[in-house]
Amino acid sequence: MKGLRKERGSSGFWGEVLKEFKKNKGAVTGFIVFSLIVLVAVLAVFLLDYKTQITKINIPEALQPSSWKHPFGTDQFGRDILNRILYGAHYSLLIGLCAVTISTAIGSMLGIIAGYFGGLVETIIMRTMDVISPIPSVLLAICIASAFGQSLISLMLAVGIVTVPAFARVARASVMSVREEEYIEAAKAIGASDINIIVKHVIPNSLPPILVQATMRVASAIIVGSSLSFLGLGVPAPKPEWGGMLAQGRSFLNTSTNMTLYPGLAIMITVLAINLIGDGVRDAMDPKLKR
Amino acid sequence: MYRYIIKRVLLLIPILIAVSFIVFFIVDLAPGDSIDAVFGNELSTEDKETMREEMGYNDSLLVRYARYIGNVFKGDMGMSVLFKKPALELYLNRVPATLKLAFWGIFIALIIAIPLGVISAIHQNTFIDTLSTILGLLGMSMPSFWFGLLMIILFSLKLGWLPSFGNEGRGSIIMPALTVGVGQAALLMRTTRSSMLEVIRQDYIRTARAKGVKEGVVIYKHALRNALIPIITAAGTQLGIALGGTVVVESVFAWPGVGKLTIDAFNARDTTLVVGCLILTTALSSVLMMFIDIIYAFVDPRIKARYSR
Amino acid sequence: MVKEKLVLEINDLVVNYETDNGTVHAVNGINLKLKQKQSVGIVGETGAGKTTTALAILNLIPQPTGIIKNGTIIVDGKNMLTISESDLRMMRGKGVSMIFQDPMTALNPVFTIGEQIAESVRIHEGVSNKDAMQRAIEMLEIVGIDKDRAYDYPHQLSGGMKQRVVIAIALACQAKLLIADEPTTALDVTIQAQVLELIRSYREKYDTAMILITHDLGIVAETCDEVAVMYAGVIVEYGTLEDIFNRTKHPYTEGLFNSLPNIIERRSKLTPIPGMVLDPTILPDGCVFADRCSYVIDTCRTTFQKDIAVSDTHIVRCSRYQEPGFNIKRMIA
Repeated sequence: MKGLRKERGSSGFWGEVLKEFKKNKGAVTGFIVFSLIVLVAVLAVFLLDYKTQITKINIPEALQPSSWKHPFGTDQFGRDILNRILYGAHYSLLIGLCAVTISTAIGSMLGIIAGYFGGLVETIIMRTMDVISPIPSVLLAICIASAFGQSLISLMLAVGIVTVPAFARVARASVMSVREEEYIEAAKAIGASDINIIVKHVIPNSLPPILVQATMRVASAIIVGSSLSFLGLGVPAPKPEWGGMLAQGRSFLNTSTNMTLYPGLAIMITVLAINLIGDGVRDAMDPKLKR
Repeated sequence: MYRYIIKRVLLLIPILIAVSFIVFFIVDLAPGDSIDAVFGNELSTEDKETMREEMGYNDSLLVRYARYIGNVFKGDMGMSVLFKKPALELYLNRVPATLKLAFWGIFIALIIAIPLGVISAIHQNTFIDTLSTILGLLGMSMPSFWFGLLMIILFSLKLGWLPSFGNEGRGSIIMPALTVGVGQAALLMRTTRSSMLEVIRQDYIRTARAKGVKEGVVIYKHALRNALIPIITAAGTQLGIALGGTVVVESVFAWPGVGKLTIDAFNARDTTLVVGCLILTTALSSVLMMFIDIIYAFVDPRIKARYSR
Repeated sequence: MVKEKLVLEINDLVVNYETDNGTVHAVNGINLKLKQKQSVGIVGETGAGKTTTALAILNLIPQPTGIIKNGTIIVDGKNMLTISESDLRMMRGKGVSMIFQDPMTALNPVFTIGEQIAESVRIHEGVSNKDAMQRAIEMLEIVGIDKDRAYDYPHQLSGGMKQRVVIAIALACQAKLLIADEPTTALDVTIQAQVLELIRSYREKYDTAMILITHDLGIVAETCDEVAVMYAGVIVEYGTLEDIFNRTKHPYTEGLFNSLPNIIERRSKLTPIPGMVLDPTILPDGCVFADRCSYVIDTCRTTFQKDIAVSDTHIVRCSRYQEPGFNIKRMIA
């Protein structure tokens, strides 16, 4: 009976969420744009040749304005900016998605353990979070990124770790709210193991707030990631990461607006699409907030 | 109330000590040290090794940390290898510039966000609401340093109106503060809007209207005062983020604040200065957050009552 | 005959709420007249449109969902639905004031209760802040709250005290018409009586007309001269206390009385009204009560119901009274 109740409830819930999400024009637009960006990112990696089309130096064609041959112009080494932006899309997407996957996995796990077991375990986990969270996140990310060396992986870790406390808190709060529910009491009464209860009951019920938080965080992770690359702590040159491209453009503000304008625009459109999806997910999960 | 403040300050100390350990530990993980960075090719490997031995660089992490924290309590946060000056002094000299930037940034954010948020809440689902919602989303999605760079191109290089870097010269604060403020404004506007939407549906707003209170007074006195609490929370969090985020903005505008100092320290592998900067910035933002908590009490009598208990 | 001046005149009021699930027909053509000093009780179940009617009088229907489709509401000679914004503000609080239902949410949490009472005085009497506060303190004493508490915030007060503050706000400017929306629902029985007595003595002093909204017939019997019984946005029966209590005509009113516990004859069974309240998004052609009525005949469902005057003071909206000799079974000894 217990299982029946939950199953019916949850499938109905997700169906409802999907329906609400589809009704939201902004969210659907965001989803379409984001899908296109993902498609472009994948195609670019396969269709563009890294050696000849992305990083090959061609000084005679340096710093050209927009033209039919180079719609977004060329950079100081004569490389096509459009190609570099298309190829660079996968870095930002990977940073955003992987960083959030890392922080969601670690953060929710810690939060669920803390919320479910309580007591000393909870105190240790949550106090640790309290110590990490007052450190300004960009600074902490810089610190971690430089500790692990300049690479894509280190950047993902850095951006991911700084949001762990946020996820731990959200997960803990939602576990606390379901912990005292009757069906959990009932599951305990019939002798279900802790792991069993957590996997079958606690996680599904904590999922909505974590999912809302995760979608929103992908957007900010991309911005933090590109900030770090901009500061020279992220994906190393000559890889065309958007933040790194902006850092290069900085030295040519006077001669080439293209080098600054387009990579930033690419970041903004990607982040905007994700924010639209995030708003849609939030409104769909919590109709109370939607007005 | 005073007891509450004292309690908060005392609670801050153990957190900052724990923060200092974590920072010390992470920075220690980074390859290379300040001796490599400063004397890289000038000294032989053996000479550098002797120097490390003399300066205690080869002791275990815990020993070095204990020594460090002991000195911190004596007011000594070590010497910067890069600047050859005490880290604390270097930091404190840069604090005013960063505070100036962060406060102007938040100030700009608030004067944009609150009116816009209120207007879109009271004209919900109209053209003006849609417009400001879109503006808010754009502001939120824009990397602030990119916006700063675009402003430099337009206002410094093309129009020549504003200086492109530094803390001197007329109007030098304008672009850095706008860079900090615009992203914050977007977030605060969204908070203001949703908070106002919540409040204007409350019964006490109807009570005020039933008394014959003017609509403007209903909105700006009765409603906004209640809506302010989440706005202050958000602004406080934003101020904390702004302090960390000034790293990027200060680097774009070569603004002589603590963010720029931190990045310079990082690039020079000046670990003493890096650790000092991180701890002190955390302390600074924690103290600011505490002030925000105290401001609550003046807005919401219920919170004041809780504090004085 | 000199026509007595009316404090309130509502003509054919229709109010709808446009919601995601369709149009809710909250009030469907109400007429109501009220003279000075007079008091009328509006009784009916939750969702009958009582509060909506009250809010419409103040022109305070929640926007943007609530729409006044039709009708005029004239308070003290002014049409509340068409007067200018500034005239409307002068009427609210001074011409007509309202005691709201839920004292827990009706007070602003960030202002002292003194300020909240004084605000009304300041707006309508044009006095200084200090004098307004003085008046606020007097009002607090009238409603039985110690004057020291004027500088307290709502969260420092009990529910009963909050309700008294809500009343003090409504009484502060001696409005000509007082609307009391369930003023005692949130209170203990003992305090209920005190609050009703307070309102009564105040009305006597200032000749205030009153609309009392309640589902408690006992309170109506104690405080009102006339009664309007509302069902599904319609006044189904209107008359003096005598008319309604002793010469009940409408089957719904009969149902209301039958569902009351009988103190004299304790063994008698409670008879609830069968069926459910009408879906408010559907507006029937015929009688709104037809589905639950034990006297229903086919024509009830199809004929538009009109007010039928059974005497000078007594009106019933039931087409069966067109049949000679029809009456409901309820008999009062």
